[in-house]
Amino acid sequence: MNGEPSYYTMESYWFGDVEGQACEPAPGDPGLLAERIELLAGRGDTRSPDWRIAVRCGAVRDRAEYLERLRDAALILAERNLGQILQADHSGLIQMVRMLDQLDEVINLLTERAVEWHRATRPGFSRKRTLPAGRSLIALIRQDADDALAGLLDGIERLRDQRSLLMEQVSRRAEEVLPNCSALAGALVAARLAAEAGGIRELAVMPAPSLQVLGAKTALFSHLSTGTPPPKHGIIYQHGRVHGARREKRGRVARTLSAKLAIAARIDYFRKSADREFLLNAAEAVRKAGRRE
Amino acid sequence: MIWIDGHLVSEGPGGVYGERMLRGCRVWDPKRSKLAALYHLGTDLELGPDHRVLYLGAANGTTVSHVADYVEVVYAVEIAPRPMQDLLVIAGSRKNIIPILANARRPEIYRPVVEEVDLLYQDVASPRQVSILFGNSCFLKEGGTAVLMLKPRSIDVTRPPEDVFREVQTEIEDGGLRILDRVRLSPYYPDHIAFLCRRDEAGRPRPRSEP
Repeated sequence: MNGEPSYYTMESYWFGDVEGQACEPAPGDPGLLAERIELLAGRGDTRSPDWRIAVRCGAVRDRAEYLERLRDAALILAERNLGQILQADHSGLIQMVRMLDQLDEVINLLTERAVEWHRATRPGFSRKRTLPAGRSLIALIRQDADDALAGLLDGIERLRDQRSLLMEQVSRRAEEVLPNCSALAGALVAARLAAEAGGIRELAVMPAPSLQVLGAKTALFSHLSTGTPPPKHGIIYQHGRVHGARREKRGRVARTLSAKLAIAARIDYFRKSADREFLLNAAEAVRKAGRRE
Repeated sequence: MIWIDGHLVSEGPGGVYGERMLRGCRVWDPKRSKLAALYHLGTDLELGPDHRVLYLGAANGTTVSHVADYVEVVYAVEIAPRPMQDLLVIAGSRKNIIPILANARRPEIYRPVVEEVDLLYQDVASPRQVSILFGNSCFLKEGGTAVLMLKPRSIDVTRPPEDVFREVQTEIEDGGLRILDRVRLSPYYPDHIAFLCRRDEAGRPRPRSEP
């Protein structure tokens, strides 16, 4: 300002800007400091701070105040970033899928136990008889169950209702969050893939062959450690084109589908909207892969 | 380090993660913390009240909270959101933990807040543990110590841990850190090994590493 030649370049620290002997302390509010740190982090060329400069600068009185300021700002910054990540990750969806899978396990386990109990008390309830599945099985036992068992069966029934409800919610959320994957593989499969991958971002950065064997952990590690044949498919087996394909074609369909899903997951995460043209081509490629020659 | 009847402890407000208390001190369980395991197995590493620590892979803050009881300040870097939630609670109740939500592979993100440190402690599950160590050794002051808690299974599950140990040792030495000691963490953590390294002062001839 006073005509002095500027030998010094400005150094920015979280506590202020230093230019030679001159220094401009940053506003002391922790929220603003957090923003400043974020900004400096984004520049990527900042030097490590030195508390003595901060004192000389007049930004803080002593070492204790230096640490206190920094810690308050860092706490706010971490909390803010955490909130953003949790939101961007849609970790809610992941938790819903896990709850859904766990509900399935619990319902099956409880139903099995109820059947065993019923058999133990009714000699006429034959083991040979083919039992219906799901709700009709519960209804069948309910007819002549004693009170204790009947109460439990009602409980299982309620769990089944909640499960259906949750499944709808998962599908709806998945269609919002993973529009392309959902269109290609079905909302439930898409949601399961994301849950197994550990998040939407994790799914988006996953190579197609990893995605192909997501959910086939046991087979994959048995392949890696003892050389059994590698798994052809994991969760994507649930897709109609995969499990509906002839045995010898399944690997091919799974490969094509996972390649397209990997692209779909990237579009979902980075562009966040459905791409009609891509979807049409992808569906066609998957269909072709399963065709007989 | 403070020992009471053969138990490693640290002095600080308790109830951080349900740890046991012994005469008003927090018991630092070697089964729950690799650093505690290292002390139980014997090491020269000391934590002093004026030490500044950069801690990579802070996780839930179990070990971090004990380290913070001993030293002046801990810069705690963790990338995973879930453990970070726990770490924030701990950092909120103490004055000398500076939480940083970042990837240890990108030190430029936290360079604006992390000063020169006396101890670089790294416990991350990454296939690139050694390159992370060197990416962060710029924070270490000359004469400072680096502790690498090596998980060979994260580097390559299919290779025998011995091979990985040997390879990592060469990489560390080639990178310019001097290995002071290697300590196997079994029986507490089978397959884990702690490398204690020193960043020697520049200009001084580097003493030969002990075998």
